[in-house]
Amino acid sequence: MSVTASAPRFLLPPDSEIWTSLEVYREHGGYAAAETAIRSIAPAAIADEVKASGLRGRGGAGFATAMKWSFLPKDGSRPRYIACNADESEPGTFKDRQIMERNPHRLLEGLLIAGFASAIDAAYIYVRGEYRTAYDALRRAIADAHAAGLLGKNIFGSGFDFEIHVHRGAGAYICGEETGLMESLEGRKGQPRKRPPFPAISGLWKRPTIINNVETMSHVPGIIANGAAAFRAVGTEKSSGTTIFGISGNVQRPGAYELPLGTPLREIIFEHAGGLLPGRTIKAVIPGGVSMPVLTAEQAMAVTMDHDALQAVGSLLGTGAIIVLDDQQCLVRAAAVIAKFYRVESCGQCTQCREGTGWLHKLLLKVESGAGSGADLEAIEDVARFMEGHTICGLSDAAAWASGWFLRRFRGEFEAHLEGRGCPHDATSFEI
Amino acid sequence: MTEANGSTAKNPKVRVVIDGREIEATAGAPLLEAALDNGIEIPHYCYHPKLSIDGSCRMCQVQIQGQKKLAIACNTPCTEGLVVDTRSDEVADARRGVMELLLVNHPLDCPICDQAGECYLQDYSFEHGSHHARTTAPRRKGLKRVPIGPRVVFDQERCILCRRCVRFTNEISETNELRVFGIGDTSYIGTLEGRPLDNPYSVNVADVCPVGALLSSDFHHKRRVWFLEETESVCPGCSNGCNIKIGAFREEIQRLVPRRNDAVNETWMCDAGRLGYGFVGAADRIREARVCDDQGQQVVALDAAITAAAAALRRVREEHGAGAIGIVASGHLTNEEYFRLAGLARETLTTVSVDLAVPLGEGDDFLIRADKAANARGAREMGLVPGEAGRDLAGILNAVEAGEIRLLWIIGSKDFEAVVGTERALAIAGRLETLILQDVQPSGLSDKATIQLPGATWAEKAGTFTNYVGRVQRIRPAVHSPEGVLLDGEIFAALTGALSGRAAVPFVPSSVFDEIAAAVGAYAGLAHQSLGGAGTNPADVTEGVG
Ligand SMILES: Cc1cc2nc3c(=O)[nH]c(=O)nc-3n(C[C@H](O)[C@H](O)[C@H](O)COP(=O)(O)O)c2cc1C
Ligand code: SF4
Ligand code: SF4
Ligand code: SF4
Ligand code: FES
Repeated sequence: MSVTASAPRFLLPPDSEIWTSLEVYREHGGYAAAETAIRSIAPAAIADEVKASGLRGRGGAGFATAMKWSFLPKDGSRPRYIACNADESEPGTFKDRQIMERNPHRLLEGLLIAGFASAIDAAYIYVRGEYRTAYDALRRAIADAHAAGLLGKNIFGSGFDFEIHVHRGAGAYICGEETGLMESLEGRKGQPRKRPPFPAISGLWKRPTIINNVETMSHVPGIIANGAAAFRAVGTEKSSGTTIFGISGNVQRPGAYELPLGTPLREIIFEHAGGLLPGRTIKAVIPGGVSMPVLTAEQAMAVTMDHDALQAVGSLLGTGAIIVLDDQQCLVRAAAVIAKFYRVESCGQCTQCREGTGWLHKLLLKVESGAGSGADLEAIEDVARFMEGHTICGLSDAAAWASGWFLRRFRGEFEAHLEGRGCPHDATSFEI
Repeated sequence: MTEANGSTAKNPKVRVVIDGREIEATAGAPLLEAALDNGIEIPHYCYHPKLSIDGSCRMCQVQIQGQKKLAIACNTPCTEGLVVDTRSDEVADARRGVMELLLVNHPLDCPICDQAGECYLQDYSFEHGSHHARTTAPRRKGLKRVPIGPRVVFDQERCILCRRCVRFTNEISETNELRVFGIGDTSYIGTLEGRPLDNPYSVNVADVCPVGALLSSDFHHKRRVWFLEETESVCPGCSNGCNIKIGAFREEIQRLVPRRNDAVNETWMCDAGRLGYGFVGAADRIREARVCDDQGQQVVALDAAITAAAAALRRVREEHGAGAIGIVASGHLTNEEYFRLAGLARETLTTVSVDLAVPLGEGDDFLIRADKAANARGAREMGLVPGEAGRDLAGILNAVEAGEIRLLWIIGSKDFEAVVGTERALAIAGRLETLILQDVQPSGLSDKATIQLPGATWAEKAGTFTNYVGRVQRIRPAVHSPEGVLLDGEIFAALTGALSGRAAVPFVPSSVFDEIAAAVGAYAGLAHQSLGGAGTNPADVTEGVG
């Protein structure tokens, strides 16, 4: 595969265009899929089409979307809700923002179709607090859609009623975790809920709730319009369709690129993002937002950006947010910066996460300063092990993976800091 | 108030295998609860049997067969055929992790911590921890020894954020004073400005707190808990009869704590009851017998006072008839004592003017009852009621004022004063020929006593109380009465002996109870020894015997 201007786009308008107005969106076929679906496709058939498309969640975990919808109770009880995750706080991630700012109706149409398919009463979009532009675009789009009868009562004369509400977050990463989001949306402190019960049974206001990411929902109209086969034709067997890769770090052209899943990481870095700064070489690449295990340069150059390939090299696709670290960067510092993020964002409920994130951060600072010893590296490994797989939500795992994998994959660089030697890199590296 | 974990009573039973041992559990009940109820210890911090499930401390993790990750036992519902391993290496490692992480910021001030000796952190550290600390980083600093309410002290550094206290104030006291502020490792428990932890049940947070973060101000820095001798008893504060443990050190009560009894008080007690023990060792406690002569009250030996009381009772009865004697008791004696007193009044003195004086205070819809005595119901069931054509309290007062009753024997004159009012009580005293007071605490009447007999407190007695619904519960002696003081039942026995001219029958509560069981319909079938720690509702027994 190589760079082609003609790579299919399911989510974003052409680079030079913005489709925030309803008219423009409709000129490009917008809401046709929703109309067809609501007028002439049985709800179950919509879900079947999504299932056939192989669509997997774009929020981080890659869970099969149709399967998630199927967990809703079959008793027809109302109300039931969609919570749409637009919190987009995973460091390095800025893909949902592209959709909301440049193609907001796409998301609304996806919610409408998903809502019809699962007999949902209303969708709540939880938008990251800093995303003012996205929020305004969504608000306007909802108002326009309402005025045009695309939301509200008796949509397309079908008797189906559906509302979409937008809620702005206040800046906590943990409110992107699905149950933390629900707590926050309900007006409480954003703290993940223990499971069971799962959201499909007891979610928003204790009602059955589907929770999906912005990008996930935004793929639904394309799947209905073009058919599951067209979606599957792009990407790989187990990772179908496109995604928006956000690439940042030490590359020439950081940005958001909608590309097929399975695109080689090397191609994204060197062709789409324009490669490295002159004279630099890659040291490490985080492939899916800072929560996903870091890769060595060697691994990064060989891997393709899909679920199976990344798992095979001991990482995960996450949000597809790629962060490139070149040879000038201190990886101990990088790990410490990331550890600090988890420390200040942990909600603090679970023992391992509350205390472990803080301890990891302190240990990494100590190692970076040169005061560390082999025992501190051992402590990092132990704390990461204690934190992984033992808590209410995935933040603890993410924090453990971040520190743990930086250490495991770049042990030599950590050891070089020990016993008073300190950081061999100059100040161009990260601030801590 | 809500029952946090809901009732699972109607659910069917399932079989669960824990570490190879098969136990029967209620379907849907938390696995942790089932394990603990069957004596299988799974370490835990945030779980409390009477609070909602929190699932945050992560200490209770176990291996469930067929599941990849460890599961928390507190949020795992019991289902048929669940197979659980609480001892695998993975479980042990997870516990070690929680322990080490809980301690990285812990101040480790066990030497000056009231909780030491009954601290979950200490106990689990010993059993599941690693026995050495490897952090050198400075520990988190926080508030130390600050009042978080009028009766509770808070040490923020010791808090492990299990949120039991928060759930207590949300779910049990329903007063919502406590909450978690901050996030991550800056989280802390606190109250809102101007809203201290101040509710009638506030000190229970010190009991639910698994560590030494929330402490009873009353017990703060008073005594190391391992020096306490603990005695199972019942709170004397009101007719609810909350089950308690009396903690004593060298004949001095140090604290009362609630004892679990799901039929009565679950695991709670009110602050007034908990802190109301001070009268037992009070400086002004009545420890001496006194008899009035021409020069006023004189301290005498107790048996001399008893002899004087017997003489006065005999004389009034002989000169003016049994109708000239009135007896008013408080609701604080044991059933066994009331049974003897009733016998003395009815059979020996043949007086029919017998009643109780029980002060009324505030009550609520949870534990606190308005009638502020533990055993008024028992007193009545033992026969402390006006006899046929006899006078009740109002009648007795009127009869004193009319000059018909010449001798009044008040057991618990403080309650009498509270019920009758000081002014009228003093007027009554002024009308009497003889006023016998049998008291633990002084009252406005103390000076007026012709004869004063020192009484004993519930903490010094063995016997039973019957709470307001009729549940018969045992109390046990936690401390000895002061030198020279007899139990009230012993005084009744001595008086009965003196008045009847027969040798006094020693007062043995357990045999008196057998007499009660034989004589009082509602107590038929009860045996003193079989009254377990939780007490018995006679109705249940009758049904059981049925
Ligand atoms: C700490 C944490 C933060 C998360 N933040 C986000 C987020 O900002 N946006 C998002 O879509 N999913 C986020 N997730 C994932 C959500 O919990 C959830 O899996 C996702 O929204 C499901 O949508 P999907 O199935 O469409 O991917 C986060 C998860 C964790 C553990
Ligand atoms: S893992 Fe961390 S962020 Fe998630 S619920 Fe537990 S403490 Fe909160
Ligand atoms: S004060 Fe005690 S009960 Fe409250 S959260 Fe802290 S440790 Fe738990
Ligand atoms: S409710 Fe009554 S019995 Fe219970 S602790 Fe309070 S005073 Fe004592
Ligand atoms: S006791 Fe189960 S998580 Fe705390």
